[in-house]
Amino acid sequence: MADINRRDFLKVLGISGTASACSIDPVTPIEQVLPYVVTPDQIVPGIATWFATQCTACSEGCGVLAKNREGRVVMLERNPEHPTNKGSLCAMGIADLQATYSPDRFEGPMIAGRRATWDQGMEATIAAVKAAKANGKRVAWLGKHRTGATAALANDVMGALGGETIRWEPLGKQALRKATKAVFGIDGIPTYTLDQAETVLSFGADFLSTWGTPEHNRHYGLGRDPDHCGFIAQFWSVEPRLSNTSVNVDIHLSAAPGTEAGVALALAKLVAEKRAYSGPASALLQGIDAEALVAASGVRMERIVELADRMASHVSVVMPGGTTTVNEVDVAIATLVLNEVAGNVGETVTFGQDSNLAGLHDYEDVAAVLADAENIGVLFLDELDIAYTTPGTAANDALLAVGQLIAFQNEPSESLTDTAIVLPPGTTLETWGDNEAVHGRHTLQQPAMTSLHDTRCTGDVLLELAKGLGIELPAVTASVRAEGDGEAIDGGPAEAVEPAPTPDSFLAYLAEWWKANVFAKTDETDFDAFWRTSVQTGGHFFSRLGKGADFGLEALPSAGAAQEGLTLGLFPHHMTFDGRHANRPWAHEVPEPVTGYVWGTWAEISPKMEADLGLEEDDTITLTTSAGSVEVAYFASPGIRDDMVAVVMGNGHDGGGRYADLTGANPVQLLTGMKYAGDTVTVAKASKTTTISSRLGNLTQDNRPINYIVKAKDIGSGKGPGGIVNLHHPPIDERLTQAGLLDMYPEPEHPTYRFAMAVDLNSCTGCAACQVACYSENNIAVVGPEQNRRGRNMGWLRLSRYWEGSGEEPDVRWQPVMCQHCSHAPCEGVCPVLATYHNLDGLNAMIYNRCVGTRYCANNCPYSARRFNYHTYDWPEPFLMMLNPEVNNRTMGVMEKCTFCIQRIREAKSDYRDHGQLVPDEALTKLLPCASACGSDSITFGNLKDPDSQVSEKFQSERAYAMLSELNTKPGVRYLARISHSEKDYGHGGGH
Amino acid sequence: MEYPSNNAEAMVDTELSYRQVTTDVLEPLFKFSKAYWAGLTLVLLGLAYGGFCIIQQLVWGLGVAGYSQPVFWGLYITTFVFWVGIGHAGTLISAVLFLFRSKWRTGVYRAAEAMTIFAVMTAALFPALHVGRMWNAYWLFPYPNQRQLWQNFKSPLMWDVFAVSTYFTVSTIFFYIGLIPDFAAIRDRTRGAISKVYAGLAIGWRGTDRQWRHYMAAYGFFAAFATPLVLSVHSVVSWDFAMAQTAGWHSTLFPPYFVAGAIFSGCAMVITLLMPLSVIFKWDKYINEWHFEHLAKMCLLTGAILTYAYVMEHFIAWYSDNPYEWGIFKYRAVGDYWWVFWIMVVCNCVIPLVWWWKKARTNYWCLWIVSIFINIGMWFERFNIIASSLAHQFDPAAWTYYLPNYIEIGVLIFSFAWFFLWFLLFVKVMPSVAIAEVKELLPPPLRTDAKEAAK
Repeated sequence: MADINRRDFLKVLGISGTASACSIDPVTPIEQVLPYVVTPDQIVPGIATWFATQCTACSEGCGVLAKNREGRVVMLERNPEHPTNKGSLCAMGIADLQATYSPDRFEGPMIAGRRATWDQGMEATIAAVKAAKANGKRVAWLGKHRTGATAALANDVMGALGGETIRWEPLGKQALRKATKAVFGIDGIPTYTLDQAETVLSFGADFLSTWGTPEHNRHYGLGRDPDHCGFIAQFWSVEPRLSNTSVNVDIHLSAAPGTEAGVALALAKLVAEKRAYSGPASALLQGIDAEALVAASGVRMERIVELADRMASHVSVVMPGGTTTVNEVDVAIATLVLNEVAGNVGETVTFGQDSNLAGLHDYEDVAAVLADAENIGVLFLDELDIAYTTPGTAANDALLAVGQLIAFQNEPSESLTDTAIVLPPGTTLETWGDNEAVHGRHTLQQPAMTSLHDTRCTGDVLLELAKGLGIELPAVTASVRAEGDGEAIDGGPAEAVEPAPTPDSFLAYLAEWWKANVFAKTDETDFDAFWRTSVQTGGHFFSRLGKGADFGLEALPSAGAAQEGLTLGLFPHHMTFDGRHANRPWAHEVPEPVTGYVWGTWAEISPKMEADLGLEEDDTITLTTSAGSVEVAYFASPGIRDDMVAVVMGNGHDGGGRYADLTGANPVQLLTGMKYAGDTVTVAKASKTTTISSRLGNLTQDNRPINYIVKAKDIGSGKGPGGIVNLHHPPIDERLTQAGLLDMYPEPEHPTYRFAMAVDLNSCTGCAACQVACYSENNIAVVGPEQNRRGRNMGWLRLSRYWEGSGEEPDVRWQPVMCQHCSHAPCEGVCPVLATYHNLDGLNAMIYNRCVGTRYCANNCPYSARRFNYHTYDWPEPFLMMLNPEVNNRTMGVMEKCTFCIQRIREAKSDYRDHGQLVPDEALTKLLPCASACGSDSITFGNLKDPDSQVSEKFQSERAYAMLSELNTKPGVRYLARISHSEKDYGHGGGH
Repeated sequence: MEYPSNNAEAMVDTELSYRQVTTDVLEPLFKFSKAYWAGLTLVLLGLAYGGFCIIQQLVWGLGVAGYSQPVFWGLYITTFVFWVGIGHAGTLISAVLFLFRSKWRTGVYRAAEAMTIFAVMTAALFPALHVGRMWNAYWLFPYPNQRQLWQNFKSPLMWDVFAVSTYFTVSTIFFYIGLIPDFAAIRDRTRGAISKVYAGLAIGWRGTDRQWRHYMAAYGFFAAFATPLVLSVHSVVSWDFAMAQTAGWHSTLFPPYFVAGAIFSGCAMVITLLMPLSVIFKWDKYINEWHFEHLAKMCLLTGAILTYAYVMEHFIAWYSDNPYEWGIFKYRAVGDYWWVFWIMVVCNCVIPLVWWWKKARTNYWCLWIVSIFINIGMWFERFNIIASSLAHQFDPAAWTYYLPNYIEIGVLIFSFAWFFLWFLLFVKVMPSVAIAEVKELLPPPLRTDAKEAAK
C-alpha cells in the first residue's frame, strides 16, 4: 500500500464511490426525452386533441370523444352532442380503449398462422374467392351487426359475389323484434322512454347494465330525482333472479322461470279492467284468468293488484325479457300487450326512432350457413367469435369445413382455424367508419390516431377485393328504408345525387355514401362544410318524433308454465359482455358490481342451495346439462330463486388472447340450443377451489350506520342537510366546535376553492362506469387474478354494495367510496414523512416520491380508500402507450388513492387563470372522469366556496350525509341517501 | 433449599469467595462446548433463510408477503411490538428494581439487560423491513438535508422513532455502566490483546473508593433516568395504535395495557432465557428458583392487569354501543381470527394461573414451559390487535382476511436468529451475571482472609 499516493487514493475513492452509488438505486426507471424531428401538425405537446367518433363496444352505436395526447388516444369519454348517450359512456365503452392497445393484436395480415404482407393477404383472398367461384361454391359473410356505409359496402360486394350477408348478435334483441312484428306488424323494436314514467316495470331486461344504452341510466336517475319532475318513479321487476337492474328496483317479483308471460298477461287483464280499456287487445284478454296465472308464477296476488293499480293511474313503461327469461318471444309479446292496455304505446313506448335492425339475422340463419359449410368456398368472418358464442361444436366443425376462412379481426379468437387468412382491420380508433344504429342517427367514426400495426380497414379491403375480382359495384345511392319508420323532420326533399364511380378508398366511399344518404336528406347545400361539421360533432342526427303503432296481435302467446327441475339461465357479463371484450384486462379487473367478483366465471345460486350442497366460500361447483358441464365459482345470491341457476357469460376463452384465456369457463357450452335460458341443469360440488375473488368483503353492512335509506314520504319536509337521514349518532353539536372542544387543530384554510363531491345514492345504479373511467384516467395498475385473490386490487373507487334485504324488496344499496378528501384527514396526521397533506384547494394531496410506504395512512383511513403498490405492476407493450401522460405511474412501495383527478383540476384552473377567472361551476360539475362517465348523473363535483355551485346545493340537501360523520373527519364528499317507497323500518345500529 | 425471601444474604452461598464468583461467572468466556457451536450454526441458518426472504422482498416488493388490503400491517408490526415488549423487562429489572433495592434483581439483571438491548435491536429491524421502500427508511430521521425534507411530528410513528432510539441509547449506556467493574475483572483475568480490549472497555477501573463513589452516583442517576423510559417507550408504541381511528385500536386503555403486557412478556422471556443459562453453566448459586419465583410473581401481577385490560376492552366496547367498536371485539372473539384470540387468552390469562401454586412457580420445568406459553400468547396478542382490527375496519364492503405467508414467517425466524446471535455472542464476551454486584451480597472478606482474597 506504500506506493499509493493521496491523489490516486482520491481517484479510486471517487470512481468506486460513484459507481456504487449509481448501481444501488433499484427503482429509478430510465427515461429518455426525444424531441420531434418534424413537429406534427395537430399536436401541441401537453394539450389533448379530442376526436368525435363512435363506440363499437356493442351495437347500440353511442358516440364517444377520443382524447388524443401526443398521437395516442388515452381516454374515451361520452360525446355530449350524441343523442344516444349524451348522459355517459358505459363501462364497456370506456374499456374498449384497450382493444386498440391489446398486446395480442395481429401486427399485420396472417395467412395460416404466419405473418404476411398485405399484397400476399389480398392475393390469397382474391385467389380463394376465385377458386370458390370456379368450383361452384358459395361465398358467405358472417359478421357482427353493422349499419351505415360499412354495412352497405359489404352488402354490395357480397351481393356482387352472389353470397349471403348474415349479421348476428349473440345478445341481439331478435325476440323483441319478432314480438313487435307480431303485435304491431312493424319490423323493428320500440324505444322505451323511462324519464316520464312513474312506474317502470322490467321483465328481466337488464336495462341499467347490458340491455340498451346508458340513456336508460340517465332516465333512471331523472325518474328517481324528486326535484326533477315532481314524482319519484317506482321501479318494479319480474325476474327469477336479481340482475344488476333488479337490485336497483323498489319491488322485485320473483316469478318462477317460464311463468313471466303469464304474469304480464295477468297484469294486462287487471290493468285493462281498471282503466276500462276497450282497445283492440281487450277481446284477446277475455279469457285470461289473472289469479290462476299469478298463482302459477309464485308471485303474491296483492303485489300484482298493487302494481296494476299503479299502472292504471300512473304513466308507466314495461320492458321485455332479458337473457334469463325462458320463452323470450312470448314474454316480449305479453309485455307489448301490457304496454298497449296501459296506454303506453305512443307515450313511453314509441316507434320511429328505434334501433336499426336492418340486416340483423336470427341464429337460425347463422346455423343454416354453418350447416352448409361443405358448400362454402369462402367464409368471411367479420369480428364475430362464432365458435365461442354458440353452443356445441357446430361452429368449430363448420369453420374447419369451409374452403377458406377469411377473418376480419384484430385479435385471436376461438373461431380462427389453422388455415385462416386474417386481415386485421384496425380498431375503431384507427379507421373510418359509421353507423346508423338508431334510425336517423348517423354516427361517424374517424381515426383518432394512426394505426399501431399494419392494418387495413375492412372497407378498403372490400373495395380492393372488388377491384381484384373485377366486380362492378352498384353506385352509391340512398339506401332503401324499411317500411313503417318516420321521416326526417328537419330533412328537406332528397336532392338528386349524381351516381359516382366506385371510389378507390373507403374514406371516399364513406363520403359518397354520406352524400347520398345523409347529406341529401338535409337542407344543407355545401357537402364539404356538412362533412366537416359531421366529423367534428361525431355524426349527423336527425331528430324524429316517436309515434305509436296499431295493435294487431291476433292471438295471445302462451302464458307458459313453471319449468321442471332446476332452470339454467345465462346473463351477459357487465364488461366482457358476450365474450367479445374478454381480452380487455379492465373488464376483469373492475369488479362486477353485484358480486364484487373479478377474473372469472361464476354461477348465482340460492343460499339454500349453497347450504344443501355444503359449499364454503372457496368451493367451486360443477354445472351439468345434457349438452355438457362446466366448473365455476359460485355466488350465493339472496335474490335468486331456488329453482334457478344463473351463470355469467363472457369468460373462459381458449385462444382469445392472454387475458381472455386466463380465467373462467364458457357457460355457452351448457346450452342445448341457442337459447340462454330454459335448460335443465344439475349442480354438484366440485373438488377444486376457486381462483376467483370478490373485492367486496361482506354481503351486508352488518347493521352499521353507513348507507342510509330515507322514506319517500319524508322528502321535502324542508329539513336542512341530512335532516331526514336517520343517523345513528346525532350530528356533531356546533357548540362543541365553537368552544374548541371537538377539534385539536384548526380548520384548514381554503382561500379560493374547496373541491368537493356529492354522490346521489338514490340514482346510482352500480354500473361500474365510474370505476373504469378512473382506471383509464389514472393509470391504475391491473394486478391480475392471483394478486386480486390476495386482496391487492388497486381500484381507487370501491363500489361498496350492501345487500340489506331480499325477497320482494331487494334493498341493495350502492356506495361509491373513494378518498373523501377530509378536512381533518386521519391519514395526514399519521404520515411520518408528510407524504400526504391537505392543500389549499381542500384536496388531500399525495406525494408519491416522498412516500416511504409505512402504510399507516391506509390503516387509519376509516373509509379504506387507500391502495398500496405491493409490487411494480407492469403493463405489457403496447399498453404503455395508452397511459395518461398527466398521471405518474406508481412503483412498488408507494401508497396511492383517489386524487379528485388533480391533473384535471390543475388544467382547468390554469386555463381559467389565463383569463383571470375562477373555474366556473359548469366546468367543474362533470370535470372528473367518474362524474362524466356516470350514466345517472349521480356524481357532482364542484367548489364548496361557491355557494351557488351544484355541489354546494347538494351539500345542503336534506338527504345529504357524510359517511362515518361521527368520526369528525369532515369529509369533502357527501352522499345523498337513497329514497325508498317501502314502509319498512330502516333504523340503524343496535341498542337504542 | 429454602431461602427466606426477605433475607438477601441468604440467597447466595456465604461460603463463596470473591475469587470463586469471578471464576464461576467468567468460565463461559473461556470454554466453548459443541452445543454452543451447534446453537450458533442454527442461528446462522435462520439468518440465511430469513435473509433470503428479505432479499426477495427487497427485489420484488412487499407483495411477496401475505398482505391483503386493507390489512396494511401484519406480522412485521406484530413482531416489532413483540420485541419492543420483550425489551421492557431488562431495564425494569436493572433500573426500577435497583431503585427499589430489590436484592433478587442482582443475579438476573445483567442477562435481562442484554436481552433488552438485543430485543430493541431486533425490534428496530422491523420498521425498516416493513416499509414499502426500505431504501428510503432513513427519511424518518430528521436531519438537515438538501431535499429540504422535514418530518411530521404529529405522527405517532415519529414519536416511535424517538421513543425507541432514546430507550435504546439509555439502556445501552446503563448496561455499559453496569459492566465497567466486570470488564475490569475480565481485564485482570486475561492476557495480551484481549486484555487490552477489556482494559479499554473498563476505562481505567481500579475499584478505588473514589471511583466507586462516582460510579454509584452515575449508576443511580441512569437508573432514575431509565425508569420513566420503561413506561414511556411502550406507551408510545401503544400510541401507534391508540392514536389511530381504527376501531379496536383507538383506546385510552392502551398505554398501561401495553406496558403491563410488555413487562409480562419481558419477564417471561427472562425466565425462558436465564433458566437454560443457569442450568448449562451450573450457576444455581447465582440464579435459582428464588429469582425465577420473583419473576413469576411479576408475571402474575402483570398478567392479572392484562386480563383485566382484556375484559375491560370488551366491556367498554359493548357499553359504548359503538357498532364499529363492539363489532371488532365480537369479531376478535368469534370471527375469522377466533383462534388467535383464544390462543392469546389461554396463553396469557389461563396458563400462567398455575403459578399461583408455589410448587409450580419454583419448579424449573413448569416455569420454563409456562414462560414459553406466555411468549407465544403475547405474540398472538399483538397479532390479534393488529390483524383483526384492520381486517374488519369500518366499511364492511372492504373487509378481508389476512394470514402471514412463508416470507413473513421467514422474517420472523430471522428476527429470532438475529436476537439469539447477539445473545450467544454476549454470553461469550461479557459476564452474564453481574460479578461486582454479586460480590456486594457476600459477607465482606475479613482481615484474616485478606491474604486469601488477595491471591
